[in-house]
Amino acid sequence: MANRLLEISDLEVAYGDVGALWGVSLHVDPGTIVALVGANGAGKTTLLRTVSGLLRPKAGDIRVSGRSLVGKAPQEIARMGIAHVPEGRGLFRQMTVLENLELGAFQPRARPRTKQLLEKAYTLFPRLKERAQQKAGSLSGGEQQMLAIARATMSEPSLLILDEPSLGLSPLVVQQMFSLIQTLHGQGVTILLVEQNIHQALKVADYAFVLQTGSLAMQGTGAELIADPEIQKAYMGVLE
Amino acid sequence: MFNLPPPEILLQLSLNGALGGAMYGVAAVGLSLIFGTMRLIFLAQGAMIILAAYFVRALFYGLGIDPFLSLLIVVPVGLVVGWLIYQGLFRKAAAEEDRNVSLLIAVGLMFLVQNLMTVIWGGNTAGVVTSYTATGIELLGVRTSFTRSMGFLIALAGTGLVMLFLRKTIVGKAVRAASEDMDAATLMGISPHRVNAIAFAIGISLAGAAGVAVATTFPFNPFAGFIFSLKALVALALGGIGNVTGALAGGILLGLIEAYVQFFISGGWTNAIAYGVFLLVLMFKPEGLFSRPYKKA
Ligand SMILES: Nc1ncnc2c1ncn2[C@@H]1O[C@H](COP(=O)(O)OP(=O)(O)O)[C@@H](O)[C@H]1O
Ligand SMILES: [Mg+2]
Repeated sequence: MANRLLEISDLEVAYGDVGALWGVSLHVDPGTIVALVGANGAGKTTLLRTVSGLLRPKAGDIRVSGRSLVGKAPQEIARMGIAHVPEGRGLFRQMTVLENLELGAFQPRARPRTKQLLEKAYTLFPRLKERAQQKAGSLSGGEQQMLAIARATMSEPSLLILDEPSLGLSPLVVQQMFSLIQTLHGQGVTILLVEQNIHQALKVADYAFVLQTGSLAMQGTGAELIADPEIQKAYMGVLE
Repeated sequence: MFNLPPPEILLQLSLNGALGGAMYGVAAVGLSLIFGTMRLIFLAQGAMIILAAYFVRALFYGLGIDPFLSLLIVVPVGLVVGWLIYQGLFRKAAAEEDRNVSLLIAVGLMFLVQNLMTVIWGGNTAGVVTSYTATGIELLGVRTSFTRSMGFLIALAGTGLVMLFLRKTIVGKAVRAASEDMDAATLMGISPHRVNAIAFAIGISLAGAAGVAVATTFPFNPFAGFIFSLKALVALALGGIGNVTGALAGGILLGLIEAYVQFFISGGWTNAIAYGVFLLVLMFKPEGLFSRPYKKA
């Protein structure tokens, strides 16, 4: 318990009067990949945006390495080591690939080491080096998603949050994406992964939570959930 | 309908129009920066320019400081004043993301500054007359005013420096990032208050530079600023909101349009046509005349 990287307890979030999350509790341990899955509209994005401070919770607590981040602004939470790749990627489309990456290391913790971090990112994403001077908006969908993830890693986050990284990508690129996620995991990066691509997500995840209309429906190791008949019926039966 | 005038006259018109328009341009660059991060149309920009012009005039007649030399004072003072204006007046409304309140504050500030200037310096038209005010110089083979040319240089230099800051420094890049997507910028650890304050500081220091150009070129009065804000807004629309060089180009273009309208039609039509162009641009090319519609990958 003591060394939980992220601990969310009884989280409630609402848009105005309309509730979106009701008492959700989940946790991420250091060095793991945790998947958060569920149907469209279940509240996955809402949960992630609350963690990174873009939304304020109505009740509940969110702790990072024991420190509560409720009430903190997104830029403060980013500086606490949380890197959030939002749904839709949040790239600065009019700016170059290089500038996007530099901004990934904007925070004081990382800025002095921008050069080394850039080299490291280019090793992992050689494609981005070729395209360094191109505008981010001119990249293909897959390259944009790679850039968004590379930019997030530029801050050497203790927790990397990915919101549907495979959305809108071709099957081949989706494969590359998941192998990239495993590579990052291999480098010791802790990842909270939201996916609608449930089968793939559960395959790479150490642990997973299933969200259903704003509440937690199930949790277990990736392997357990893949084998679960209910999950298979509800989420994978029609898809696979 | 009318005979085309000889080329010297056309050149003269274009030159004067462009030189005058550059002043709308600097004002527009300031508006563009502030609009970029705050999505606020800072209507008090013109009043700040006139305030700077009065300040330059006071430095000249009070302390004998040459108006162009006073740039060295006005620009840094503008940075500080802009920073303070943001922290003191806009920070709270910006935190609550209430753009209506911000706009009202800008309007309130405009009236306050106008009336303070009236109290301090009176409502009459004032000016700065130096030994070189009436001096003409030869430019591209036509005679034009020295002070207007200096105003143009100030506009170019100001815009150039802002461009350098935005393109070459990490803080400038953060300002551009925040202008494009504030939420995504905060996820990078960029503080909205910080970039807003920077935009204001630069915007007001540009108003200071423009104040020098205005003081040396035109007679002015405390209420002349509002028209300036409106013209800057037109320049902004012409150049494309959020495009710094476009804002300067938009100002120059507006100056040209005004010069031609004044010559070929009549002085009475200049404002009507300027605002007409404004509406047409917003209706048919809201991204500005100089930006290509952005192609998605
Ligand atoms: N900006 C918003 N305003 C109001 N309701 C929203 C907003 N964003 C999401 N919702 C609602 O909150 C619920 C959860 O949405 P979301 O978190 O986006 O789900 P998911 O990411 O799992 O698809 C949905 O019912 C959705 O309609
Ligand atoms: Mg979502």
